[in-house]
Amino acid sequence: MSLKKLVVIFLLFCCQYALAQDTIAIKLQEVSVSDLLLKKHSESQSVLKLSDSVTKNNKPSLTNLLNYNSLIYFKENGLGMVSSVSFRGTTAQQTAVIWNGININSQLNGQTDFNTISTRNLNSISVRSGGGSAIYGSSAIGGSVHLNNDLIFKKAISGEVLVDYGSFNTLGTHFNGKISSDKIASQIGFSRNSSDNDYTFPRTNKKNENGQYYNNSLNVNFGYKFNEKHFVKFYNQSYNGERHFSAALGSVSKSKYQNFDTRNLLEWKAFFNAFTSTLRFAHLGEEYKYFENAGKDAFSFGKSVTAIVKYNAEFHLFSKMTINGIVDYTQTKGSGSDLISDVRKIGSASILVKHNVTHWFLYELSSRKETTNQYQSPLLFSMGTVFKPLSFYRIKLNGSRNFRIPSFNDLYWEGSGNKDLKPESSYQAELGHEFFTKNVSLQLTGFGMKISDMIQWKPNLSGIWTPENVNQVKTYGLEVVLKGNKAFGNHGFDFSSSYGFTKSINELTGKELIYVPNHKWVTNFLYAYRRFSINAQVLYNGQVFTSSDNENILTDYMVFNSGIRYGFGKKQNYKVGFQTANITNENYQNVLGRPMPGRNYTFNINLNF
Amino acid sequence: MKFIKITAFTLFTALFFTSCSNDDEMVTPQLQIPLGNYASGVLILNQGNFGTPNSTMSYVSDDLAKFQDNIFGIVNPDETLGDTGQDLGFYGDKAYIVVNNSNKIEIVNRYTMKHITSITVGLSNPRYIAFYKGKGYVTNWGDGGSDTDDFVAVINLTSNTVTSSIPVAEGPERIVVENDKLYVAHKGGYNFGNTVSMINPVNNAITPITVGDVPNSLVENNGTLYVMCEGKPSWSGSETGGKLVKINLSNNSTSSIAFATTSHPSNLVIDNDLMYYTEGSNIYKMNVTATSLPIDELFSTTAQGVYGVYSFAVKNSKIFVGDAVDYSSNGKVYIYSLSGVLKKDYTVGVIPAGFYFN
Repeated sequence: MSLKKLVVIFLLFCCQYALAQDTIAIKLQEVSVSDLLLKKHSESQSVLKLSDSVTKNNKPSLTNLLNYNSLIYFKENGLGMVSSVSFRGTTAQQTAVIWNGININSQLNGQTDFNTISTRNLNSISVRSGGGSAIYGSSAIGGSVHLNNDLIFKKAISGEVLVDYGSFNTLGTHFNGKISSDKIASQIGFSRNSSDNDYTFPRTNKKNENGQYYNNSLNVNFGYKFNEKHFVKFYNQSYNGERHFSAALGSVSKSKYQNFDTRNLLEWKAFFNAFTSTLRFAHLGEEYKYFENAGKDAFSFGKSVTAIVKYNAEFHLFSKMTINGIVDYTQTKGSGSDLISDVRKIGSASILVKHNVTHWFLYELSSRKETTNQYQSPLLFSMGTVFKPLSFYRIKLNGSRNFRIPSFNDLYWEGSGNKDLKPESSYQAELGHEFFTKNVSLQLTGFGMKISDMIQWKPNLSGIWTPENVNQVKTYGLEVVLKGNKAFGNHGFDFSSSYGFTKSINELTGKELIYVPNHKWVTNFLYAYRRFSINAQVLYNGQVFTSSDNENILTDYMVFNSGIRYGFGKKQNYKVGFQTANITNENYQNVLGRPMPGRNYTFNINLNF
Repeated sequence: MKFIKITAFTLFTALFFTSCSNDDEMVTPQLQIPLGNYASGVLILNQGNFGTPNSTMSYVSDDLAKFQDNIFGIVNPDETLGDTGQDLGFYGDKAYIVVNNSNKIEIVNRYTMKHITSITVGLSNPRYIAFYKGKGYVTNWGDGGSDTDDFVAVINLTSNTVTSSIPVAEGPERIVVENDKLYVAHKGGYNFGNTVSMINPVNNAITPITVGDVPNSLVENNGTLYVMCEGKPSWSGSETGGKLVKINLSNNSTSSIAFATTSHPSNLVIDNDLMYYTEGSNIYKMNVTATSLPIDELFSTTAQGVYGVYSFAVKNSKIFVGDAVDYSSNGKVYIYSLSGVLKKDYTVGVIPAGFYFN
């Protein structure tokens, strides 16, 4: 009965391994999944897949989800404010965010603000560690975060309402509807989050002021099947949000920030015997407005519009080998109140090979070359292999060259931009061991990378801040991920714990990079009994340096969260839950002078029909 | 076999590193005791990073025998100096610290650093402070993007409140009081200014005096106000060279010495009828009466790795140079003899922005 369901949900917590998959599953996957390369060309790296159920157990911002479920370090300027990441010790511009296979990092600043993405309208979120530029392009150095919507052609009609309400008048309302048949697959999702965000800093009488925010996002996805061979799919996402930027400690702020993003993707996929053809068009728009004084009309702004055409020809040889040839063309126009308007055109060609030699050995190769009128791009590549000598043990090896192209701000900021910048580029390697049984898995991954031509903004001799390719960074680390689940009688357990050790060293100074913790540890535990489930989360972030001479630090901290849920209805279609975050009321900051909230509560209802 | 070895190794290192992360290795800051008297020395205001409340103050005694970092924080552990310490002014036995991005003034006892009170109302993007007859005058940019909301805030030093404000042209920066008049240099804020306003504090009447582009320092000496203008930078599209403008305070007439078009001097100070200024990493010296610029620098700070002098002072036969290093690290202060021989250096807080002799 319901227990079986629970077990299935537990299983979804785990990464999916499986070297060989049966053909029906493959076909289903080919049709429904938007980012196929993630599945097919990431076997020699570690991919953490967070299912829908994990997502729902966490607050709706991508920051919150990944902070408590992955080893990515978040630099958040106070709750809900600008949030950037450090993945495997790299900078915010060295993590790529991929929406249905398309790189959506801002063209203006080269990074993604993880508080401008709502997780509620996505079917799955994956974290792919390590280099991926040969497939995903710029920024996939530390790793990439994949936001996916799946369209399934199967007769079904369903709806879901999710409401979260909690401390600081924080309200999230989310609606998802799906209607599909053998011919049509459609989804619509709407999500709105808002908060007064006026939390008291733990153990002080000071409040977070001017931190209120709201955001809306709308997702519309539609697929049409002409026949067994031809499919057309359309994905759309729009987001608009307004955040007042809260003040740092001891300061006052009156500013606010609005951003508006649209993403459209049209895909035509055709299946022939040993050949699959995929043609994609994407259109991405981003725009921000910054109001120095929220009470006035004056603002500064920046925007970019990107158009992408991408063609992917996939050949299947001897049922064991696939070869993809991909060509794409991207054109981006950037402009803004402080930017010199310009158009960037990038063409690229790549080849990807994957060969399942035997059931215990496979290798994958990929290579990509970009050309643009603005700078020289290195030849990117990735080589990986998976070797499974024992039924419970697998070893993965991957080496790659990756890059991060200069952003529009780096190149064209009025008075400061440097048009002579080169891309940052890296050589990196990782070695992973995986031990797994039916209920338990252990992953150990060691990695190292060398990044050269790192772009740093610094004042030149005339005192003008300008970016230069000055730094060389050496990063190494180790990740340990332990997972387990067990069900017996009416009881179900699920456990996952990850620990990351990271060192990022500026080779010119011998000092560590700022805001890279040496240690991060996250643990999630879930226990279910009949209709009840209880979950607990622990996050430990080691100390970080806040100045490049490593003289100033932010101390380490540990945060505990816990929640309880109860399912109603025959199939537990209706759930109510209550979560407590930061149970110990820890006073912590992950960016200097930006305290995070103390103990706070959320009540939620989830209805499926 | 090899796999097992590698596995064992990785497992071992994992455990090793984990055990490292535990308690005892965490550094606890040492307890620091206030010196108790910060007279007879120089207070150094460290600006901190814009957007981050890490402004601090350091102290060096006149004989260079005593040094203490973070003096405000040590004396006042419950107070945060704030975000971007911009200027400090002495009046009576008090020091007034203007904290730009925190939009406030912290008032402390100038000798003990003991916090007295804060002024948080009536300021908007405050920059510099001067005093006249029981009142404080603080230049304010208002919103950086607006060229019509700039003002000089008038502070009643008894009640420590902003009592009125005098609207002025865009980007008021340095302010001095001479001959019962306020002189405000309009560096220009987000734009480029080229005037000095003479303000009569009795009736707030303003007389604009045209100087060079982007005036960054004001110094009075023997009835003349010396204004160093840095000129417009190359990226402005209409680069102009620096200019040293002398305003005769008896009739506001001006004369000037021009720098080369690509020359952008700053940090003018006058000590014993000698003018000092900086350009890039170099220190220059000239007589106040000189009519042409020195050809060679007095000395260069490049040996100390100074990448552009950030703050500068000359006092008691010593030259003080503040180095912002990479604007993230703790800053450096170098103290030289008048001929440029390095006597002493100190590591101070982030971005040393000014020297105030107590």
